[in-house]
Amino acid sequence: MSEKPSVLIIGGGIAGIQASLDLAGRGFQVYLLEETPTIGGRMAQLDKTFPTMDCSICILAPKMMECFRHPNIKLLTYSELKEVKGSVGNFQVKILKKPRYIDETKCTGCGVCAEHCPIEVPNEFDMGLGMRKAIYMPMPQAVPRCMTVDKDNCIDCKLCNKVCRAGAVDFQQQPQDVDLKVGAIIIATGFNLYDPSQIIEYGYGKQKNVLTALEFERWVCASGPVGGHLLRPADGGIPKKIAFIQCVGSRSLKFGAPFCSSVCCMYATKEALIIREHAPDVHVYIFYNELRAFGKGFQEFVNRAREEYGVEYIRSRPGEIREAPETKSLTIWYDDTLTREIKSLSDVDLVVLCPALVPRESNKKLAEITGVELDDCGFFKVTHPLLAPVDSTVPGIFVCGYCQSPKDIPDSVAQASAAAARAAEALAMVQTQSTGGT
Amino acid sequence: MCSGRVEPVFILNAFENGADGVLVAGCHPGDCHYRSGNQHAEKRIEKTKKLLDLLGIGSDRLRLEWISAAEGEKFASVIKDFTEKLRQKGPSPLGGELEVAPVQHNATESIRDIMKRTKALYCQECGKCSSSCPITRLDPLYSPRLAVEKALMGLQDAVLTDKGLWSCLTCYLCRQRCPLDIEYDELIRTCRAKASANGIFGNCAHEGVLFSLSRLMANPQTKQNRLDWVPQEAEIAKTGDVLYYVGCLPYFNVVFDDIGVKSIEIAQSMLKILIAAGIKPALLENERCCGHDLSFAGDMESFEKLAKVNTTAIKKSGASTVVTTCPECYRTLKTDYAQLFGEPKFEVLHASEFLTNLIENGKIKFNGKFDKKVSYQDPCRLGRHMGVYDAPRKVITSIPGVELVEMDRNRENALCCGVSAWMGCGRHSKQIQIERLTEAKSTTANLLVTACPKCQIHFNCTLCEKLPVNREEVAIETCDLSVLVARALNLTSTPNMVETIKR
Repeated sequence: MSEKPSVLIIGGGIAGIQASLDLAGRGFQVYLLEETPTIGGRMAQLDKTFPTMDCSICILAPKMMECFRHPNIKLLTYSELKEVKGSVGNFQVKILKKPRYIDETKCTGCGVCAEHCPIEVPNEFDMGLGMRKAIYMPMPQAVPRCMTVDKDNCIDCKLCNKVCRAGAVDFQQQPQDVDLKVGAIIIATGFNLYDPSQIIEYGYGKQKNVLTALEFERWVCASGPVGGHLLRPADGGIPKKIAFIQCVGSRSLKFGAPFCSSVCCMYATKEALIIREHAPDVHVYIFYNELRAFGKGFQEFVNRAREEYGVEYIRSRPGEIREAPETKSLTIWYDDTLTREIKSLSDVDLVVLCPALVPRESNKKLAEITGVELDDCGFFKVTHPLLAPVDSTVPGIFVCGYCQSPKDIPDSVAQASAAAARAAEALAMVQTQSTGGT
Repeated sequence: MCSGRVEPVFILNAFENGADGVLVAGCHPGDCHYRSGNQHAEKRIEKTKKLLDLLGIGSDRLRLEWISAAEGEKFASVIKDFTEKLRQKGPSPLGGELEVAPVQHNATESIRDIMKRTKALYCQECGKCSSSCPITRLDPLYSPRLAVEKALMGLQDAVLTDKGLWSCLTCYLCRQRCPLDIEYDELIRTCRAKASANGIFGNCAHEGVLFSLSRLMANPQTKQNRLDWVPQEAEIAKTGDVLYYVGCLPYFNVVFDDIGVKSIEIAQSMLKILIAAGIKPALLENERCCGHDLSFAGDMESFEKLAKVNTTAIKKSGASTVVTTCPECYRTLKTDYAQLFGEPKFEVLHASEFLTNLIENGKIKFNGKFDKKVSYQDPCRLGRHMGVYDAPRKVITSIPGVELVEMDRNRENALCCGVSAWMGCGRHSKQIQIERLTEAKSTTANLLVTACPKCQIHFNCTLCEKLPVNREEVAIETCDLSVLVARALNLTSTPNMVETIKR
């Protein structure tokens, strides 16, 4: 074989990154496809991780850079999968590389263009809480470190072109077709958040002091929209009472998803700890349904939150959250199911909803293109949930991370390595067959 | 017993049980030991006579006489005279039973089967229902969660004997919010039917007079005189494309006369609007109660009788569209009858939906301005039960000059008017009504529009009473949606909006 056997990895989150590094390390050529301008995924948005309380981007960024610099990994960011043909050992893949209107080889990521750009739009990376320019880098640690022009919001003033000293701005760029031949494919598309505005009694979207957990991660993150200060979103006041509500749309047959998202109990505990570390005088309440602290060190983590940090756990799914029109403070009505008392918690400054984490809607399109099957919830099906947890229903295509089933970061990483190993095995088998055995 | 204690329902019950006539004999005016007992009796008898006329039993089968204990002779002659008159009239028109095969009686269904059918087996005991329930907040003895919990533990007796079973408003707020979509309304209804089958009944408001009326209407022999309210010049038909299903409005008009609610004006308004829109509506001469209240009180047998006679009568009218002004009729005709007899051949529309169509098709046009700031009460049957939120709002906002100001809790989050299906009305109902009226008042609206005759009755009833709060904080005019439209169309000059009565 003259060509290096190669693998396409769909999704540049922590699972896709880990699978890429594993395969590249074994000498395979890896194409890492990512639809947004940067790899990093959800983990890059998190402030800290549980149960170790590591700074999330601090442990992720080195891996992102490693992907960028690895001779065997080619990043295809800001790109879309268009077509997959063939079978294991010989997939023909068509990818559309969307124009960034920036020459990636010239851009230094200095950001001067963004300083001059007159257009401000909500930053998707900050869950819309902060602003970015029409020419932007989603986050300071973006990989590739390169600007992107958001053509939908650009007014063609070309100021960026004038101020760019590298001459990287190129409005002539066209969408580019990339044709690849790969022996195996790994899908790692992660998750999306269920939109809790459908659960109207919680007033998300209407009551300004109600945030989702991922919004809260950005809200308290040092690189976030308010520089990591703990503030009331409605008026920038200093909060004294913060409450988390679990299972917002999870384990539900009506709204959201029927399954448990598996990480919320723990990340809420982590976020509670972040709050107490920021401001030890803030009262933190976690309204939980069943406390699922099932992983290594998890229960101990919860115990610590209770003991050392005084986080209050209340077993209840609150009935409603009502805003006081003048102060914008919130009152939570709940049934303390352990004491069977109907109570209300008033003067709450901030409510963090932990919404169901659901497989991405775009998985359907991906399934159509690749021929793999989805289950009823939109997760990728595997050929056996116990014995072949990363084998999709198409030979040579593997799945890992949250898009396969709900899981946290360490499980996603472990599963990514598993998918990489299975992909390597598939490639080796194809190679053996094509050379007539050894 | 003091004649003042004789409730209309006592008399109605006698007729239900086959009496041909009822004589109430009281002490002479001025002789009352309790000062005004006989004066009350006089009012009540007058009201009951009106009900008997509506039911077609005839007010002459009820007589009130003042006979003191010393007037043996008078007593004898009155009895003689009354029995003679009754003999001449013949036996009560009621009699004979309608044969109905029990269609979906769930009295035999086990608690576990009920739980399975209503998805209560999925309960996660999270307490979202109980912390939403307007009753549980006031009365910790009742909670939807605890009811399900008892059922989950297999405590059938505890479920059926629980007083809370009858406190539930079936307002659907818990079901609306339950992540598992547990059908609490159906669970409660079935458990009530099961409890009734075991001889356990709840308290009913107004001593159950409205249930008695419904049961009397379920009698196939009943021939009502229920169309007296139709103006002579109004052109109505027995058959036709559009049928206006009036519901119990003629009866409410009599029963709730003393709280100033003229329910029949809702029917009169709707009729005028239909005629103004160029429709010759059909009305059923012997329309019966839809049975909603009986079914939610656990009397499935009477409910099924009513369902059967009504469905037959509607089919006979040839109507393709049935319009109701009552959301309970709407729900019952549209979903509950369909469950019993399959999808009906006619379309059921609530007045708000029908009026929206008329407005959108230009069939009715508002002239001039009708300056009012109004708020809207979502009836639980129309809103949460049936998902109709937009139609009434469209109707209100299409009236020139009318400004709609929403209450804090509206649409899916709306607070119930405090009573449903005439199941008990007590302290908690009143508290809920005051809470809701305060909310309505705080919108700065000067008119509270409802799309349910019962919401209007309940709010006005509270406003007639001694209030624990400052009257200015709650007193607001109420008005039914159809009446509002008729007024805006200048179709009615009567002061149909219910002014709050001060007592």
